[in-house]
Amino acid sequence: MPSGSPALADRLAALDQVVELGRGRLDPPLVEQAARIAGKAGARLRLGAAHTVVAIAGATGSGKSSLVNALAGESVSEVGVRRPTTSAATAVVWGADSAGPLLDWLAVPRRHAAADQPAYAADGLVLLDLPDFDSVRVEHRLEVDRLVELVDLLVWVLDPQKYADAALHDRYLRPLAGHGDVTLVVLNQADLLDPAGLAACLADLRRLLAEDGLPGVPVLAVSALTGDGLDALSKELADRAAARRASVQRLEADLGRTAAALRPVCPAGARTGIRRQDRDALVDALTDAAGADTIATAVDRAHRARATAVTGWPFTRWLRRLRPDPMRRLRLPETPSEAIRTGLPGPSAVQRARVDSALRELTARATDGLPEPWPRVVRQAATNATADLPDQLDRTVAGTDLGAARRPRWELPVGFLQAVLAVATVAGLVWLLALLALDWLRFPEPPLPHVGRVPLPTLLLIGGAVAGLLLAFLARRLAAVGGRRRARAARRRLRRRVEQLAEARVLAPVEEELSVHTRLCAAVARLG
Amino acid sequence: MAAQPDLAGAVATVRDRAAGLRLGLEVPGADLARRSRDELVRQVDDYLLPRLGRLDAPLLAVVGGSTGAGKSTLVNTLVGVEVSPAGVLRPTTRAPVLLCAPGDERWFADGRVLPGLARSAGPSTSGERSLQLVPHPAVPAGLALLDAPDIDSVVAGNRELAAQLLAAADLWVFVTTAARYADAVPWELLHTAERRGTALAVVCNRVPPPAMREVMDHLGQMLAEGGLSRAALFGVPEVPLTGGLIPPRAVAPLRDWLLGLAADAAARAEVVRATLDGALRSMSERVPALARAADESSAAAAVLLEDADVLYAAAVRDVDDGVRGGTVLRGEVLARWQEFVGTGELLRGLQSRVGRIRDRVASAFTGRPLPDEEVADAVESSVESLVRAAADRAAERTAEAWRGRPGGAALLGASRTVLARSSEDFAERLRTEVRAWQGDVLNLVSSQGAQRRTAARMASFGVNGAGLAVMLLVFAQTGGLTGAEVLIAGGTSAVSQKVLEAVFGDGVVRAMATQARHELMERVEKLLGGEAERFRTLVLAGAPDPAAAEALRRAAHELELARRASAEVSRPAAAPARPVPPAELPPEPKLSWWRRAFG
Repeated sequence: MPSGSPALADRLAALDQVVELGRGRLDPPLVEQAARIAGKAGARLRLGAAHTVVAIAGATGSGKSSLVNALAGESVSEVGVRRPTTSAATAVVWGADSAGPLLDWLAVPRRHAAADQPAYAADGLVLLDLPDFDSVRVEHRLEVDRLVELVDLLVWVLDPQKYADAALHDRYLRPLAGHGDVTLVVLNQADLLDPAGLAACLADLRRLLAEDGLPGVPVLAVSALTGDGLDALSKELADRAAARRASVQRLEADLGRTAAALRPVCPAGARTGIRRQDRDALVDALTDAAGADTIATAVDRAHRARATAVTGWPFTRWLRRLRPDPMRRLRLPETPSEAIRTGLPGPSAVQRARVDSALRELTARATDGLPEPWPRVVRQAATNATADLPDQLDRTVAGTDLGAARRPRWELPVGFLQAVLAVATVAGLVWLLALLALDWLRFPEPPLPHVGRVPLPTLLLIGGAVAGLLLAFLARRLAAVGGRRRARAARRRLRRRVEQLAEARVLAPVEEELSVHTRLCAAVARLG
Repeated sequence: MAAQPDLAGAVATVRDRAAGLRLGLEVPGADLARRSRDELVRQVDDYLLPRLGRLDAPLLAVVGGSTGAGKSTLVNTLVGVEVSPAGVLRPTTRAPVLLCAPGDERWFADGRVLPGLARSAGPSTSGERSLQLVPHPAVPAGLALLDAPDIDSVVAGNRELAAQLLAAADLWVFVTTAARYADAVPWELLHTAERRGTALAVVCNRVPPPAMREVMDHLGQMLAEGGLSRAALFGVPEVPLTGGLIPPRAVAPLRDWLLGLAADAAARAEVVRATLDGALRSMSERVPALARAADESSAAAAVLLEDADVLYAAAVRDVDDGVRGGTVLRGEVLARWQEFVGTGELLRGLQSRVGRIRDRVASAFTGRPLPDEEVADAVESSVESLVRAAADRAAERTAEAWRGRPGGAALLGASRTVLARSSEDFAERLRTEVRAWQGDVLNLVSSQGAQRRTAARMASFGVNGAGLAVMLLVFAQTGGLTGAEVLIAGGTSAVSQKVLEAVFGDGVVRAMATQARHELMERVEKLLGGEAERFRTLVLAGAPDPAAAEALRRAAHELELARRASAEVSRPAAAPARPVPPAELPPEPKLSWWRRAFG
């Protein structure tokens, strides 16, 4: 990859996004690792690429300090036969700039300015002589672990005795398998082997490195004692320092490693999203839980009762008023208002169980094929939303226009007609009673108007009563049809409101988590 | 010196108890405990039992150490010929080589020592573990040298094999170098040797002659600090090899020491005895540690089991509450029941003896389901919803609870998503159970009906209808309906109850309802118990038997007693000054607690 700062900046932005989205969702160690890399990258980039920090790491007795001294051309690190020798990292800085801030950041207090080496120009090279990683002193290992994470270029110093140690390969080289661009391997003490042995040893070492996931890493045979191979190593280091790319390459390798660690979170070809039928099943279960059946029945009956109160036969319809209004009994508001608490009994255990099952099915399908933690995170998002479900459903019901306030247009004319018929009936009755009284008092019968052959008062009484009853019957049938229609409409409106509730409280949070997953995976893809 | 059969028996008992110990739960330290268990079992098999069987077998000196320390070269030099290949490539020795005097071959040819390793005459080419047996006249009788693979190279198989061989040694000849003597890995093994009381010789090879003094001083100081001052220490200078061998002069002290040991039967027996005693002694520490690990594992298992039990019991309670509260009646059961009563099917059935037959005939012609079958479906699906949601919730909560428990997350592992829901065939089994329950309720009604004079009236509207009414009553009569719903639904519910009471009488109806609910709950408990079993099996497959730790402790105690007794028997000649009568044995601290528990 070219030095490409834009690409690196983009990858770092992606890393920041991963950290932001992953926190609280992904495994904490994974997020911590990403955050640490992000923090380190920011700090390292601010310090600039003028210096290249090279760690000379190795086992105890491999000759790290001798090598550093040989490279520096003077004794800067203590060399000894007692093991382990070096206990704290020592920095050797080439060039005019003392690299103070950089070494402060690395927390390496022991510093040494290298004498001018005219043989090659290594301006900006900072060598760190690290303690060993395999001795009985645990603090040495911890210091190595810390600095290995921070430096730009890693030089592993091995020797013919120790080049196959598990402590090196298992603990350091394999975890850093993606860091081939910023890794050099030096086989020190090459003078101890004859040429054939050295060649075989180098071949075996290359094989082990390839097994570690570091094929093609430069392997240099040197001898700090005799000086063989030192020039090649010096030149390699000077070239790397001059190129000023190691710090960026190191960060890129770290980003690659982080991306590889994150990739299992985003399996290829995982299908996410809420299925239509799961969504409908949830809304159905919620509508049911809101008491849609009870409400629809109440709306139907209330409509019929109210219609009867207006259009029923006036002589018997007052009886209707003795029975309470079904809607008022459930305290269902005439005009929608969420502030009112209805008298509905709330979702039953079965209804809650069905909502639960629908929700579970929905989240399980929505995260089908996704690894942990997504099924859990999405489920959590959905469950959080339904904690106060009964109250939410009650508000939804109270806020739904059940269409009870508007009365049908035919009611008033029919009511008026009923009144006219009632008046006619009463008038006929009174007339007939008056005729009866006159007859009893032996008054002569006044002239009686006839309609056809039927006397008018009789017609008024009987015709009015029959017509009124007939009208009441017809109105009842009409009201029954209207009641059913209104019940259906009320159920429809309730379902729509419940759908909005589900959208806001369940589906949106679930979609949000799924979109977090999508964005996170997009960020991981940009990461490397 | 005769072998003590009771001691061997006690060792074998400890071995069997330890080998049978399940430590599958991933609690903190479980990995260590498993390794410790395997090491213990292997040491008993490879070393303790063979050695206890033949105390006069040759001394087995295992030459072990870091890769590149020159173990093979050292062994070759000691014998005087190249028997074990040495080289610059690491690790060199992959198959162990056992060198012994030709007369001693019989001790090692059969599988008594290191029974897990096949014997071979030449270097092993197959991948399996084997032991190359090389009888050589240069090896003195009574001594066998074993060139072990390295303890720290990248080849993991080598490391394990080396640890196994070292555990089988009468004497460890530990080879390190001037560059390596402070490495962490060998020191861990040295400390293990110290804990196990293994006789130890430390050879520091490849020391640059000028640094000899300083390095040996430092190494001696490190050994003393590590409590290993009794180890014999030898320095071998880094000198050019002649014909692949170190010049004899450089290894003379080590050679003389080994030859002296081989020649002196008493000294050899002393080394054997010291190592054997140390190994036996170490058991009294390692076995209780293993028992403690088993205790921890058991405790973690108990917590996990309790999680599952509590959450599934809560699920059963949820279902019971749902049924008892009468809430199951609400909703669609109610609506269907209203339909049922409203259409007058039941009343018509009551009025006409042929009501049921007519319904069936009509149903047969029209294909419409019988009205009471519709109600039955509704009841079934309500109970089903209730139980399935409870099962799902319990599974989810158990999985969630386990995630935070030691050992829980690892148990769930990859099947986490599967376990967090009820099992695949649960819905099917649930449906079967609910059907069977409905059959029970019908039987209940018909048996009650047969005993009473009302049998004739029962027949009039069909056992089916009455059974249904009882089912509905199960939900309705205990908790009753509340609030506004009573006004809407109470009427019809009351009708069904009235009908039933007219047929059976109030007390019988209540008793039937209670019994039907009990039967339902019994089935639900069985179903959910089966679901909880999925979690329980996982735990029980990995957790030790509850009594295993106790048995292990008892076996360790028996072993300790046998060891002391045998020490007393074998000692008098060697150390008559301090015979320890059994009565004066120091009180055994490990004893007190199990005495408390069992005595």
